[in-house]
Amino acid sequence: MFMLTELEEDALKEFFNMGLGMAADSLSQMVDNEVLLSLPQLKVASFQEAARMLVENQNEKLVAVRQNFKGELGGTALLIFPGAESLELVRTLLSEDMPLEVLTELEQETLLDVGNVILNAFLESFTQMMSVSFEFESAEFLKGNSNFLLDITSHMAAQERSLMKGSVAEHERAVVLMMDFKTSDEEQKEHTLSGFVVLLFSREALVILKRELDTILSML
Amino acid sequence: MESKTALIVDDSSLARMMVRKIFATSFKDWTLKEAKDGQDALNVVDGASLDLALVDFNMPGMNGIELAEKLMEKQPGLSIHLVTANIQERMRMRAEGMGVGFIKKPINPQKISEIMSVLNG
Repeated sequence: MFMLTELEEDALKEFFNMGLGMAADSLSQMVDNEVLLSLPQLKVASFQEAARMLVENQNEKLVAVRQNFKGELGGTALLIFPGAESLELVRTLLSEDMPLEVLTELEQETLLDVGNVILNAFLESFTQMMSVSFEFESAEFLKGNSNFLLDITSHMAAQERSLMKGSVAEHERAVVLMMDFKTSDEEQKEHTLSGFVVLLFSREALVILKRELDTILSML
Repeated sequence: MESKTALIVDDSSLARMMVRKIFATSFKDWTLKEAKDGQDALNVVDGASLDLALVDFNMPGMNGIELAEKLMEKQPGLSIHLVTANIQERMRMRAEGMGVGFIKKPINPQKISEIMSVLNG
């Protein structure tokens, strides 16, 4: 089983924290409100376990923007909102008095734009200290429960491995990094937003990630 | 010359290691005290006089702003800097409103040098 040392986990969490800091700044500017961040949680889990972790946090219908990235470091970043929250975000960004039907129509397009900005800020900062290169695929808009969002068959990294090796990737382990955020309710009690960011890596990516972490740590 | 003392408070070992390396390389005459959270910091300081405190914001227990307030009570006039990944404008304003410096992570030698030049100036 793939293991990260305590120090490697610590470093990974700190990079995640830095990435989320940048992402929160982008979101904060968009919603003109402070975004409060939780402490990062990290777990090396299978994709199935990852789905269960998400269920524990939210079991209602979720809306997500998924950004796959590939190259030296392959994986998936997800920006997830509980369903009602995403409409709230769209309302905050567009107009307070927009009818629900119009909001719903604009939900996908708006969230893709927002997700793109936030996840790019996050991933660029996350990899700032590493020497790996990667490229983004187009962001996707997803709606469903947590099992669906982390579905192994739709997960790019797992899918590629499955296709290449002809193996069932169910037992693949992934690093799952998760962090909650919510907007400050000091100013707009009725319009607080919350959601979370999840980062998944395939096992191949984990090997590269571990190598990068070791290089960085060996210089300190 | 009497050795000066800096305190670094961060729940991340990596973040503390980065600061430790910068001090070991560029500010060898400084003594560095380390703490992993606010409570630990208050125990580590325990009445000792500091010349500089570098404090993370997002930590278990009290956050960096709360810790800065306590450090200010203990030692008015202490040079305190929030070293954080949380770079939102409101956070910066809150810190600067209290007279606390604001440094974006990751920390690097140049950022510490800038603080030192103000301290020595």
